[in-house]
Amino acid sequence: MIDVVFELIIFFVVTLTEAQKKDETIELEDGQHGVVLTPDELPAQHMQIDVAKSGRISMGNVTLLPDEIHRRVKEKKARWGEFPILIRADFETPHAAVHRVMDACTSAGIWKLSFMAIGEDKTHERKRIKKVRK
Amino acid sequence: MGRRPQENPALDMTPMIDVVFELIIFFVVTIKQEDLYTRLNVNRPAAAGSSSSSSDDISVKIDIGRRIDGNAQGVILYNKREVSRHELDQNLREIAHTSTKTPIIVTCEDSSPHKALVDVLDICYKNKLYSVSVFSM
Repeated sequence: MIDVVFELIIFFVVTLTEAQKKDETIELEDGQHGVVLTPDELPAQHMQIDVAKSGRISMGNVTLLPDEIHRRVKEKKARWGEFPILIRADFETPHAAVHRVMDACTSAGIWKLSFMAIGEDKTHERKRIKKVRK
Repeated sequence: MGRRPQENPALDMTPMIDVVFELIIFFVVTIKQEDLYTRLNVNRPAAAGSSSSSSDDISVKIDIGRRIDGNAQGVILYNKREVSRHELDQNLREIAHTSTKTPIIVTCEDSSPHKALVDVLDICYKNKLYSVSVFSM
């Protein structure tokens, strides 16, 4: 019984920490034709920046100001050289918020940015009603 | 302390089977199918929206903004004319037919939703036009 209980505890600990690493409120837009993201497609030192509908900018679910993003990108670039930046923005985020993030990255010397989109919606967890495309 | 001599000395498999079943059930319950994600790469030609350097080459300009009446946001303008996503796709297909290296310049207004930009980028990628630059204004 102790074995089983330990196993359960470990499993819960592992799954819980996994769930808190990103902003869960973000709903992405479809983009079937982009480059498919697999765990080893991006180099390990890539950076992911979340931008919520409200304009909240975060990394690893920690809210940051554009200045802090700029500083982090700069520090990372000094250490690793060029690295890819992945922007994970909600489909309703006003472009102004994305604009701020992009400017923070480019002013720190990273010019190649990527936007994250959904290639194939397998979970159907998105709350929004798909609008009929013109 | 001494064990009773067993009549059948075979290894007792019951606890192992219990644990394995539990593991199987746990995995089945907790595993949720992940969405498949993609990324759309863009270039950022200048830190603040200065768009003067792009007039010499043959490039395609797509604007994301609003209608003149100001109502609809995230409207796609191709050659200053409002186009639907389908029309943009057709236009870009013709361009890709001549050269897939044609640079695309997307100018996005600050008020437009991110969705419009991703849609435009996706249409570019659909037609294998990968050199996309994004300006903001």
